[in-house]
Amino acid sequence: MPQPDRRRFLTSAVLGGSAVAGATALGSLAPEAAFAAAPKIKLDPGALDPNFAEGRITGISGSLLKASGSDRTLHRIHITDGTSIWKLHPTTFDQIKVGDGFYARGVRLPDGSLAADAIWVNIVNLDASIAAIETARLHLDHNGKRVIGHVVGGRTAAVYGSAPAVADLTRLQVGRHVKVIGAWRPDTNEVDIATVYSGA
Amino acid sequence: MGCSNSSSPAYGEMSWFCCGSSWGPCGSAGGGACGTCNSGSHQCAWPNTSDACFNITRPDQCGEGLARRTCGHVFYVTSVCSGKCVSVSIADCGPDTNSFCGERSCCGSTCYTNRIIDLTPSAYSAIADLSTGLSPARIDS
Repeated sequence: MPQPDRRRFLTSAVLGGSAVAGATALGSLAPEAAFAAAPKIKLDPGALDPNFAEGRITGISGSLLKASGSDRTLHRIHITDGTSIWKLHPTTFDQIKVGDGFYARGVRLPDGSLAADAIWVNIVNLDASIAAIETARLHLDHNGKRVIGHVVGGRTAAVYGSAPAVADLTRLQVGRHVKVIGAWRPDTNEVDIATVYSGA
Repeated sequence: MGCSNSSSPAYGEMSWFCCGSSWGPCGSAGGGACGTCNSGSHQCAWPNTSDACFNITRPDQCGEGLARRTCGHVFYVTSVCSGKCVSVSIADCGPDTNSFCGERSCCGSTCYTNRIIDLTPSAYSAIADLSTGLSPARIDS
């Protein structure tokens, strides 16, 4: 059975002003499904993307997020049952809190609000070096500042070179250059680690 | 030229980075080597934008012969996983290729090696899922 157009669905869900049921008709709600369904982006290189927003959430009203962009732009972002939500892992709307940072991609509506295909809450991709290693924490130097990376049981994984991701972090070394995908703990210098990439 | 139609594309890993005004640990990122970088714009970092940049990233140590391209140069980046393409302009130096020599990313049976380009969150999210952090890509000029 052909799947309905995800973007048309998101837009109509918002404009209809009612709760959306049966989102599984769209297939997987995982973020990668949103990209498989999204239309080709036609935008001049270097230009601001109108279908993208970032900033921090200042209020939540029903399924509407109010947010302030880092450039002080005010955003209104609609979350529907078809929106993919990531906050350390794929999660649900109730996990989004005021004060969270975010990146969101979706459809810009005529009133200037964004109907979100996907939202990544507090996501970071840190370029860092390992300053110290504890049992459940990595001390990271990032842009000249110290960031504490928390190991989350059942979630944190390490990728060594071209090998598949593993839960074993014992091969990480102090002084090693790493990239860290994780979720920032708002208003702190701490992150929860999803994946740490280390050279072989 | 455009997506997937240049005569000498580069193949490798793409990742993403934040720059410009931002929140959290990204708040100190700044405008990048070109001074124009912004997470909300379709931009990228390239490992060979200048001698100073190249001496940090050293893609040659991973066997990558990446051409010198400077601020504002346009690339067309195609995600192997989604098949989608985005055009981006150079706004920063990076990634630090030689710190991850030999690293490999796959999509199905197609695998590419070495980090050769970083995209801003708006550009990366146009063709891939930010939570993947890393993905194989084709780069055309």
